[in-house]
Amino acid sequence: MKFLRSFLPSALLLGANVVSAASSWSFDDAVVSVTSKKAGSTAFKDKLFDHVPLSQDVKVGVDDSLKIILTAKEDSTPKRPHQAFLLLQDPDTGLETTFAFSMKESGKGKVDFTQKDIPVQLLTSKSPLRATLLLGSFGVSKPFGSHVFNLDVSVDANTPLPSYEKPLRYGKLPEINHIFKADPKSGPLIISLFFTGAVLATVPVLLGVWSYLGANLSHLGAATSSAPISHTLFFGSIVSMEGIFFLYYYKWSLFTMLPVAGVVGLVAFLSGSKALGEVQGRRLAGQR
Amino acid sequence: MRWILSFLLLGLLAVVQAASASGNKLLVVIEELAEKSKYSKYLGDLEARGFKLTYESPKSDKVALFELGERAYDHLLILPPKSKGLGPQLTPKILLDFINAGGNILLTLSSSHPTPSALVSLLLELDIHLPSDRTGLVVDHFNYDTISAAEKHDVVLVPRPDALRSDVKNFFAGDGKDVIAFPKGVGQTLGNTSPLLTPILRAPRTAYSYNPKEEVEGVDDPFAVGQQLSLVTAMQARNSARFTVIGASEMLENAWFDAKVKPSAGLTGAASDKAAKTANQAFAKEVTGWTFNEIGVLKVGKIEHHLDEGETEPVINPKIYRVKNDVKYFIELSEYQWDKWVPFQPAEGDNVQLEFSMLSPFHRLPLTLSSTTPTSTIWTTSFKIPDQHGIFNFKVNHKRPLLSNIEEKNTVTVRHFAHDEWPRSWAITGAWPWMAGIAVTVAGWVGFVALWLWSKPVPLKLTNSGKKVV
Repeated sequence: MKFLRSFLPSALLLGANVVSAASSWSFDDAVVSVTSKKAGSTAFKDKLFDHVPLSQDVKVGVDDSLKIILTAKEDSTPKRPHQAFLLLQDPDTGLETTFAFSMKESGKGKVDFTQKDIPVQLLTSKSPLRATLLLGSFGVSKPFGSHVFNLDVSVDANTPLPSYEKPLRYGKLPEINHIFKADPKSGPLIISLFFTGAVLATVPVLLGVWSYLGANLSHLGAATSSAPISHTLFFGSIVSMEGIFFLYYYKWSLFTMLPVAGVVGLVAFLSGSKALGEVQGRRLAGQR
Repeated sequence: MRWILSFLLLGLLAVVQAASASGNKLLVVIEELAEKSKYSKYLGDLEARGFKLTYESPKSDKVALFELGERAYDHLLILPPKSKGLGPQLTPKILLDFINAGGNILLTLSSSHPTPSALVSLLLELDIHLPSDRTGLVVDHFNYDTISAAEKHDVVLVPRPDALRSDVKNFFAGDGKDVIAFPKGVGQTLGNTSPLLTPILRAPRTAYSYNPKEEVEGVDDPFAVGQQLSLVTAMQARNSARFTVIGASEMLENAWFDAKVKPSAGLTGAASDKAAKTANQAFAKEVTGWTFNEIGVLKVGKIEHHLDEGETEPVINPKIYRVKNDVKYFIELSEYQWDKWVPFQPAEGDNVQLEFSMLSPFHRLPLTLSSTTPTSTIWTTSFKIPDQHGIFNFKVNHKRPLLSNIEEKNTVTVRHFAHDEWPRSWAITGAWPWMAGIAVTVAGWVGFVALWLWSKPVPLKLTNSGKKVV
């Protein structure tokens, strides 16, 4: 690539060099022509120069064939060079393909190709291909190499290009972050808070209705004085059982909870029969 | 007993490491031992770097790459034979077996004699193609040495190669200004489908290969042209065994090691009047060093993975993880450089990647440098294990051109959440109304029990409409 980049400015110098060198290769009577197969007519024809590229891009359509004829000369005598190549280069990628001229002993040579002969990597090029002509042979004569024209390949938009799959090359691969299922999300917090508040508000409503209906704790004194231990234990065990359920929810395992619940349950059973007996006594006495 | 053995092994290893990361037994196959003197500088360099050289003629009965089924040599250098083949001991199959057994081969070609068909078919196995008539000569009318090849243009002067890609290390760059002389060489073309092949040195874009016997007048249908023509080609097999083809054996000769060359006027038209020394000696050292595992060899040190959830002393390399655990992974990498292990640094634009995979990767993450030791770099990343249970691998599959392959796989089990590992209900805001419902029920129940035990009935009164009121 370094080599290619340095090519452009010095290609301009080349013309001067060709003239000044003592012995060098050049060409004459070079004509580039594009023939359309369908129409059978020549769509484009121009003369090539050895020191400046054509100002106009050479356009090659789908059915067109491009032909170049020239006469190679070594020091103005027509002669066959060993190397007579036309290089087509994609200026963006640096990829290049070569067409060799078929040369005659007289120095006359021609090359012709159609779009099918151009590799698909170059057909998909965004910018026109740079065509470089090389003439060189053994010996001391200076070879000729210069940018002669730009080739604009227009592909048929209707027919797809031959598919080109990039071959496997080892390198860095694209990053992957695959997530099967996003984490579950709760609804808006404000809705949860509203309904939590609504649910909690039922407790004061319940207590209020109870007191409106005349609920009271007036027998507490009588009950505790007649059966203080069993009432305390029974009510305490009911509350403890709720506490046990809370601890079971919070961190206890089933086997921590079961023995404790058994003990509390036994207490509730034994004290409950006494406490509820006392309640029954009050009812039989006509107090409730 | 065991520690003595390991000390012995360690000692052996130290001796071995003096030359190459993989042994120093080198077999040089040379047809006529007298020709050794032509390569004396090159072979002397090899000996100075610690290789133990054995010379054999391909015709000799003693030449054998395998002894009792094991590799007898670590490396093989084949200098071009004049005869038609390499004999029954060096058939393509045996040479391929040698590569498969981890041996490295440096093959040199020359256009002075037709390439033996055994070598052509060996290269064909590796998708390296030579001109079909076994005779090819690379010439370049734009970049030749005007001192030695003013007429024939067959000493091609090539600048030091650029990196293959921007993200590939360039081991052959030299100081950038040198020129390599490629005298009377055979160019190769490479198959496009193999990722194992790497052109080390490509021909200039004006060069071409022709048959000097048949295409004297001119070339109408050249074998290969320009950059498609590889002058020095490297192949690294999947087992990291290396095989290099040098198209011109003369490159390695004493005459070209410090020859002065004067480049012709190139395509740029800028001819240099100064004669410059070739970089062949340095380039030959780099190519040979790469082939014989002296550079570009990677080694994996310690691999570590553990939970990354705030533990002070996590279990190192556990066999089991849970889905959605945060984990951290470390891998230690070293690169061999001539005679020592140095910290490995990937090329600019490249990185080391970790895959967390079950059949296919679920995560592929770039590793970042965490620390450097005198001989290695330690690479790390942390990530969340995907929401899928199964058998997973921590996999580092580092395959890069010109670097030896790393394929490290550590298998772990990934299990479901246990029943007590889910988020608690109070952490879920949507559950709050339901939890409030339970609290309300509890409060109501306790209140009800208290009223049942201790409430005093109030006397009933009848209203006018007959409804009970307090």
